Amino acid sequence: MFLKNFWYVAAYDHEVARKPVGRMILGEPVVFFRRQDGTPVALEDRCVHRHLPLHMGKLVGDHLQCHYHGLRYDCSGQCVKVPGQDAVPPSARVKAYPVVERYRWLWIWMGDPALADPDKITDFHWFDDPAWGAKGCYLHVKANWQLIVDNLLDLTHLAFVHESTIGNAALVDNAAVKVTRAPNNVVVTRWIIDAPAPPTFVKAGGFTTPVDRWQIIDFVPPAFLRLDVGCTPTGTGAPQGRRVGGITMRNLNAITPETETTSHYFWGQAHDWDVGNRALTDMLVEQITTAFLEDVAVFEAQQRNMTILPNAPQIDINADTGVIQARRILDRIHQEDLAAAATMAAAE
Amino acid sequence: MAEVRWHRAAALADVREGEIIGVRVHDASIALVRLDGHVYAIDNLCTHDFAFLSQGFLDGREVECPLHAARFDVVTGKCLGGPAMADVHTYPVRVEDDEVQVGLPVGLPSG
Repeated sequence: MFLKNFWYVAAYDHEVARKPVGRMILGEPVVFFRRQDGTPVALEDRCVHRHLPLHMGKLVGDHLQCHYHGLRYDCSGQCVKVPGQDAVPPSARVKAYPVVERYRWLWIWMGDPALADPDKITDFHWFDDPAWGAKGCYLHVKANWQLIVDNLLDLTHLAFVHESTIGNAALVDNAAVKVTRAPNNVVVTRWIIDAPAPPTFVKAGGFTTPVDRWQIIDFVPPAFLRLDVGCTPTGTGAPQGRRVGGITMRNLNAITPETETTSHYFWGQAHDWDVGNRALTDMLVEQITTAFLEDVAVFEAQQRNMTILPNAPQIDINADTGVIQARRILDRIHQEDLAAAATMAAAE
Repeated sequence: MAEVRWHRAAALADVREGEIIGVRVHDASIALVRLDGHVYAIDNLCTHDFAFLSQGFLDGREVECPLHAARFDVVTGKCLGGPAMADVHTYPVRVEDDEVQVGLPVGLPSG
């Protein structure tokens, strides 16, 4: 299942320059490059002549030239030159996708281009905000995108999968969890009061005495999870909104489906103290990377079983509330898409 | 009517108006709801798959189970919508000195 009428993260700004880059997004091959003035372009990565990926070609000015027979396309996807002839068939065009550069990422709109509104791009400002130290990363995951969304909405797994970094038993046994929902939002708020800090927080903030820890998970469709995480020494008022003497971070996640069974996992970590300290940023990212690689092993193993046994039953546990509420939003949007497509087909 | 024994369930201040919380009372998992100043007590386990109703979504006197969306009336315990089919038990509540007490039946297995 893919939800097309959304902006998705396609690439880091530094990945795309004057050498065309091909990437599969929501099951469609896309080629990215920049015009001479630096603005990004995204086209269908398939020459309409004999299907060769256009990313194997080269840029001639702002035109992308196919490696096979030299057909050249402009940034709207229109073929503007066919070597060996003067006239260009009017039907010689490939799809062009709206693309916007924001927050150090390239965002692509996969739905009807007429509906592409950059104001709908999800806020990830922490990546280029001077009040935060931040770094972005990427993981390729051989698993369906929804397995990654699920993982970030149920943090009880930290105690089992991530014991050596961000997990400890207090997360499961002592957490007070509240799930709130809106038509296009789920927020899972977890507090662990007066418990030991996990290893990563000890490294980051040197907590040797008990802490109050929070994890506030904000989900917006299709696959954006922005986590407000941190802790303060216990009893200093954090649950009442007073954060002093502690650490606050953002764990930021933007999952883009590649295929039904593989995903592009864009993520990053931001911290609001010592923001210029690159060694600190790198240490935090290294700790979270260790944890996320543990997650990737889980996702890929889940996917192997689910591919072999696609109809096997599953049950839900109390910890799944946030997961299930998010999936209900995504299912509703999918049903709306199907209904809209059926209406359009009937009108034709 | 069966004999009940009264047990402390929560501080009145912990049961806020329009909210549902889950508490353990003796061996039972109970959900407390405060509506229009009254406190009501029902079994906290959805009769479908035993999810905590206290983690569900309260709308007036209806609570929606957080997992599969079964609905219950928190005053009568009546099941209002599937996939659950059985009603949840209700329990008598009294408030004494800012403490919410729930009456559990004596001699019957609890929750």
